[in-house]
Amino acid sequence: MSGVDRDALFGRTLRLCAWSGIASIIFFVIGGVILGRMIPPLLAPNDSADIMVQKISENVMSMRVGSVFQMISFALFAVYGAGIAAQTRRCERSPGFSYIQLMFTACGTLVALLVAFSWALMSFRPGEYEPTVIQYLADYAYFLAVYSVPVFGGWCLMIALPILMVPEAEAPFPRWVGYLNVWAAVLFAPGQMVLFFKSGPFSWNGIVALWLPFVAFFLWILVMCIMMLEAAKRHGN
Amino acid sequence: MATDVPSALAVEQVHGQRRLPGEMGIWIFVFGDLAVFTLFFVLVAQANVQQNEVFQQSRRMLDFGHGLSNTLLLLTGSWLVALSVEKLRHGRGKQAARGLLLAILCGAGFVINKMVEWSDKIGAGITPATNDFFMLFFVFCAIHLFHVVIGLACLLIMRAKCTRPIGVADLRFIESGAIFWHLVDLLWILLFCLFYLI
Repeated sequence: MSGVDRDALFGRTLRLCAWSGIASIIFFVIGGVILGRMIPPLLAPNDSADIMVQKISENVMSMRVGSVFQMISFALFAVYGAGIAAQTRRCERSPGFSYIQLMFTACGTLVALLVAFSWALMSFRPGEYEPTVIQYLADYAYFLAVYSVPVFGGWCLMIALPILMVPEAEAPFPRWVGYLNVWAAVLFAPGQMVLFFKSGPFSWNGIVALWLPFVAFFLWILVMCIMMLEAAKRHGN
Repeated sequence: MATDVPSALAVEQVHGQRRLPGEMGIWIFVFGDLAVFTLFFVLVAQANVQQNEVFQQSRRMLDFGHGLSNTLLLLTGSWLVALSVEKLRHGRGKQAARGLLLAILCGAGFVINKMVEWSDKIGAGITPATNDFFMLFFVFCAIHLFHVVIGLACLLIMRAKCTRPIGVADLRFIESGAIFWHLVDLLWILLFCLFYLI
């Protein structure tokens, strides 16, 4: 196989990773937004356990189907993250940042998969568990999603650093993408406030602690996927 | 020679062209951050309308002196940073480093002042749990303080760069860091108005 063909294979791999990222957004919209009712949130942190059970019981089927789609969406994070790491690897003489990215990708994917597990278990038999167990699962799902700032923020920073540190001509992505990743990490940060509030903008259904990190996260995936498609174009595909 | 004027800057000076200070990426970050803080300001304004009485009472419990002195510290710091970048552009690295050191002291003063203000409040039994005004006050000031700390780290790196001959990439970093510090200043002025003045 000639060198040009190998590059074409890399281009195709990047396209696969980019489209996996885009698919994960679509699956999340189906599974997390439309069916799963994760965002806009059906539940609230100041709901009593009985109210939560009642709300879940009324939406049990759509939440179950939603969690199936969430599972697919979150598993695709692994493919998406590996694509960014592979492209980053190309600017490194000896791999470093690309390895760290892969670690964060693996951690982030696992944390996200646990969100889907919690969602599935909440809707599995809401009437049979103790109501406080259901409440615990709801808290657990949102804590996994937004309280895990260092994992997802760290991931973004490990993408930003190599972009900003290598000379511009060798950078794996345009320099502004580096700044964008730093900004994304900043936007995830308010998620850690959910521990301290049970109502208002900083609680797990609030605009600052839930909406801001969630919207930022999926927009971040979208931008990075577009950038991977751009990079793929440069590799003869 | 202590400091070289980077070639890109020299070319710009010859041709008299205007160049974007820093680089495009830092401006994306700045406008992105401003957009998020706009959301924060809307939240404060909304709560202010809904709970006007609570907000008026709580506002009177804030120490205006702390707010004003912090504003002056950041404004002075911003001025010093701008002055230092200008010095650096004219190859006066040592003066620039001195200016940045003073700016760092202003920033550190801000952090200490904020700590004193918060410990006063917490000592008096006022916490984020007191009411919605103090919840917003503590959280948004904390997010801003996080910006100040990042900005101070940038200023320290900028100062270290000033003492060596600088290249185009160094100047880009220094300008970007200065822009970020101005953003930190701007955000504080808006927070100061919202929490202490209105």
